[in-house]
Amino acid sequence: MTFSLDLGFVALTDAAPLIVAKERGLFAKEGVDVSLHREVSWATIRDKVAAGLFQGAHVLAPLAIAARLGVGSDPVNLIAPMSLNSHGAAIGVSAELAAEMDGDDAKSLVRAVAKRLGRGDPPVTFATVFPYSMHTYMLRYWIASAGLDPDRDIHIVTAPPTAVFERLKSGSIDGFCVGAPWGAVCEEQCGARIVLEAGEFWPGGPDKVLGISETWAAKEPEAMLAVLRGLLRAALWADAPEHAGELAGMLSATNYLAAPAELVAKRLVKDDKGLRFSRQAASFPWRSQAAWIFSQMLRWGQVDRGVDAKLALECYRPDLFHTAASDVGLSGPLADSKVEGEHEIAWALPGSRGPIPMSRDLFFDRTRFDPDSLKAYAAGFAITRLTE
Amino acid sequence: MRLLLVDPDPARAALVAEGLAGIDPLDLHRTPSLNEADLLRIMPDLVIIACDSPDRDTLESLREATQNNPRPVVMFVDRSEPGRAEEAVRAGVAAYIIDGLQPSRVRTILEVAMSRFQLMQQLRSDLAKAQSDLASRKTVERAKGVLMKERQIGEEEAYAMLRKLAMNTGRPIAAVATDLLSFHGVLKGDKP
Repeated sequence: MTFSLDLGFVALTDAAPLIVAKERGLFAKEGVDVSLHREVSWATIRDKVAAGLFQGAHVLAPLAIAARLGVGSDPVNLIAPMSLNSHGAAIGVSAELAAEMDGDDAKSLVRAVAKRLGRGDPPVTFATVFPYSMHTYMLRYWIASAGLDPDRDIHIVTAPPTAVFERLKSGSIDGFCVGAPWGAVCEEQCGARIVLEAGEFWPGGPDKVLGISETWAAKEPEAMLAVLRGLLRAALWADAPEHAGELAGMLSATNYLAAPAELVAKRLVKDDKGLRFSRQAASFPWRSQAAWIFSQMLRWGQVDRGVDAKLALECYRPDLFHTAASDVGLSGPLADSKVEGEHEIAWALPGSRGPIPMSRDLFFDRTRFDPDSLKAYAAGFAITRLTE
Repeated sequence: MRLLLVDPDPARAALVAEGLAGIDPLDLHRTPSLNEADLLRIMPDLVIIACDSPDRDTLESLREATQNNPRPVVMFVDRSEPGRAEEAVRAGVAAYIIDGLQPSRVRTILEVAMSRFQLMQQLRSDLAKAQSDLASRKTVERAKGVLMKERQIGEEEAYAMLRKLAMNTGRPIAAVATDLLSFHGVLKGDKP
């Protein structure tokens, strides 16, 4: 029996597993008839899954966790049985701000902020895509690493990925943290300067997940696993270097990203900063990465210190990943959690079907994150809203 | 009450505004897109926003009061009856209120907005249906013409032939007509 279902996505390169699974018939091969629906707002994606209009969607990993916790909305029974990608997000600044910064590091931003303050100009304004996003945490982390308070010294606004370019052009923002391909679009068409990429901030860090309604997954477990298998296969296909050109063309179509193929292709290169869909366990929903996201929610006061971290971690479902991965013949990590930011060089991770090659995973400031002491980590930053 | 309606679709916004005209007292402002400066200038008590507006996420981020955002907003969820919240999502509309506003007044306004969004959906789908009906009628007319010419038969007989073909294959008459036209084209030498 063919099962029909609806999945939502936002026009971003990391929606590739969904688009590839649809376009290459990988959902159909699993016996599911999937309709993809493009949305322009993350809040609408969240609400449509909550209302049962979508059974699942391409979701910001932190939004899946926030929705489950009931932070920013009524609680939504969302689970994340797979990650869709690593890398792709980038912090960029306008040509004007770049000229004032006179360097690419956060310390240079301090000088630019001071210059503006001295002239009595409006504060430096950055756009991020959603309050609960890796983009927000990466931007705040980077700004705070130089001793700037992201709530006091800088102005941060929210704009959807596709609108960041317009805002930069109109001069209403000076910088941004946005997902691919929109960073490259700002760079190419607006003279923006990319100063930090997700692959430099945290190699192998999380970004988007497949968010699934837990109610639906419990009711239709076979259909849910069929979707997962299709997506895991699509992620493998999308990662193959020989498919990069075809993938860029497929994504750039007007009903998907509606962006120039050559700019989409820019972040599909297989270097340290390029998007990863499957390789280096990029599809695996690491509970330690959910823990890191929760640590940043604590750090910036988005969740109350009394909230149990366990509730956030339960959003990630490595058990479901393993079931689908074993059907597909993919090696899955033997552990659900790891210390993040520990490896300075490539390493091998023990997997269910032999070792999985992994890249370095050092954070750009060389800190290390142990999920077992996430509160101490969140409270340990020079700038944090969490006091121990 | 000061209401800001954010809708990138001007026809729909007009329809909603007309529906809200009966509610008194209501100070209604309309904009196709939203930015922080508009919010500060208008200082609405209530924002009704289309779910297909990309500016919805900007509103979502204004939950916390800051120097730039003295009046924090929350999404208004109608809990008066089960299924009301889902109905709003289905209609494609969301409401945000300044924290502390009376829910009963908001409910009435949201209901009007929802029904107008649904009406617009209905009008659009009726229009699409009318357009496709017209297109299939034209196709059937052309197929009839081909049959009349090739078989040297009358209009009624040609139509009966198409209907019989449709019934035999269990397909809509317009689909049969489309096939007939394309096969006819190929036989005449068109590239398929």
